Amino acid sequence: MNKLLYILVIIFFLSCGSDNEDYAAIEDEDLSQTENPLLDFSVPSNFPDSTYDISQNPPTEKGFELGKKLFFDGKLASDGVVSCGFCHIQDFAFTHHTHITSHGVNGLIGKRNAQPLHNLAFMNEFTWDGAATFLDSQPIIPITAEVEMNETISNVLSKLEADPNYPTLFAEAYGSEGITSERLFKSLSQFMVMMVSANSKYDKWERGEAVTFSEDEENGRILFQSKCASCHSGTLQTDQSYRNNGLPLDPTFNDIGREIVTGLASDRRKFKVPSLRNIEITFPYMHDGRIASLEDVLDFYTDGIVNSETLDPLFVQPDGSLGLVISNEEKTQLIAFLKTLTDTDFLNDSRFSEF
Amino acid sequence: MKKIFLIALLTIAALSCKEDETQIQNPGTLNLTFENAVGTELLSLGNSYTNSSGEGYSIQELKYIISNITLTRKDGSLVVYPPGQSYFVINEADANSLTIQLNDIEAGAYTSMTFGFGVDPTKYPIESGTLNFIPTAEEAGMLWTWSAGYKFIKFEGVYTIPPLTGSDPFRIHVGSHGANLDNYREITVPLGDDIANTDFTIGEGVNASQTIYFDVAQVFDGPNTISLENASDIQVDPVNAPLIATNIATAFSVPQG
Repeated sequence: MNKLLYILVIIFFLSCGSDNEDYAAIEDEDLSQTENPLLDFSVPSNFPDSTYDISQNPPTEKGFELGKKLFFDGKLASDGVVSCGFCHIQDFAFTHHTHITSHGVNGLIGKRNAQPLHNLAFMNEFTWDGAATFLDSQPIIPITAEVEMNETISNVLSKLEADPNYPTLFAEAYGSEGITSERLFKSLSQFMVMMVSANSKYDKWERGEAVTFSEDEENGRILFQSKCASCHSGTLQTDQSYRNNGLPLDPTFNDIGREIVTGLASDRRKFKVPSLRNIEITFPYMHDGRIASLEDVLDFYTDGIVNSETLDPLFVQPDGSLGLVISNEEKTQLIAFLKTLTDTDFLNDSRFSEF
Repeated sequence: MKKIFLIALLTIAALSCKEDETQIQNPGTLNLTFENAVGTELLSLGNSYTNSSGEGYSIQELKYIISNITLTRKDGSLVVYPPGQSYFVINEADANSLTIQLNDIEAGAYTSMTFGFGVDPTKYPIESGTLNFIPTAEEAGMLWTWSAGYKFIKFEGVYTIPPLTGSDPFRIHVGSHGANLDNYREITVPLGDDIANTDFTIGEGVNASQTIYFDVAQVFDGPNTISLENASDIQVDPVNAPLIATNIATAFSVPQG
């Protein structure tokens, strides 16, 4: 009698299990025994709240590692070479130095400069023109753009399925078999949201840790508040708006900026106000990388601004002249301050390193 | 003692099994068939039609995205089709795409159905289940390549403005413009027959069917009039795209009587 009951119990549990896909249920069980701890994503005390909904995609050890492998894998591109990490190099806060605008497959050249990747969990929109409203869907753009990775998402999935390692890595990260586009994008996001750069001298100063600004740095900080912070506002030095900062139109690219996203003539030649985190090492500057040094950037803001219908009114002085008024001495001080935004811990953080 | 323990365990097991099954109790299937039309006649790609602005047009391509299907029961309660499975591309040129099969719908009487035209940009992509729709949308050419956004409708062909006889291409792609302009629309159509007062019933193990007409002529002639002479290449068009989205919102209907 007891034996019969035992058998019945076993049958019941088996029949429950078979509600799921037959063998997947067994594998789920095996995978649940694989350790995949949650990673600690915490918002630095001097930062705003994160915009990324961590509860929808909490980074795990295996999900993060998978995202990292995908980030550095040329399989995401049609030529098998141009990975995300090809243009986004950690030493330069995930930008590219020798290329003014980004290079893609087949030697093609894009019209914009690769943006740094850091503190993405705190951004409202992505890319220079805000064409991606969520981090999870942003990679669609570089993967499918002809001048970048020129690949289709379907092909990426097929290549990953055919790979000897990825099926296992996806299963370990998500607890069941299957390589889907949702998992692909979630993994990339898990890798990217963990890229928090919050250990610069400026951060330590903001948090009241034991650092002291030099006289130039402190003067630069005060100048920054009056000359720059109306756009480069807050801890991340961006109000996340789109503005025309008076760059002359480059006829090679004829880039209309945010108008491509909204269709509004009032958005013509406007680009996202970038965060200035790690600005010292993210040259060249501007959406098309046309300016090589911070000195040249400040010279542009005092002497290089050209007028156009959408020029931001902040660059027009009361007497009608264009540009900001900053003395050479002040420029030196501003640059000293900007260099306090460099976070060498982040640049050397082995969690994000390809090798 | 052991026996009692085992019986208790068995009971728990039986109960927990039963709970699992309530989710798909009495499942039926609902087949939705989209019939694209121009006015009262069914659409034929390549045929010539005339809009209220007197412009002749013929359609070469018509695709659109249907999403977020929710059914309303006779008692007013809602059945939300799983969001991750609730995105479809309807392509006039692909007969298989015109019928959407909704599986595991609880049997019962229903009064109406609500669906999305396009992709709801306010929903977080993971929550809304759209991330797995990307390859389908991509293969159908429903992604904007420079953006992470969707074309909700891809409507292309040629048009003629009499008395001229030459034809020019028209191209109408409506989607949302980043976070700036939301052209997603929710549309509700009745199920069943109000006049005859008959219920629309989905039976257990039965395939129920519902035809939905999409009158594509209303892209031009709905609450708003769109003339191809004024705008024949509507892509990221902040003026015309929302007008067309509004026209489309009233262009779906079900057979009467």
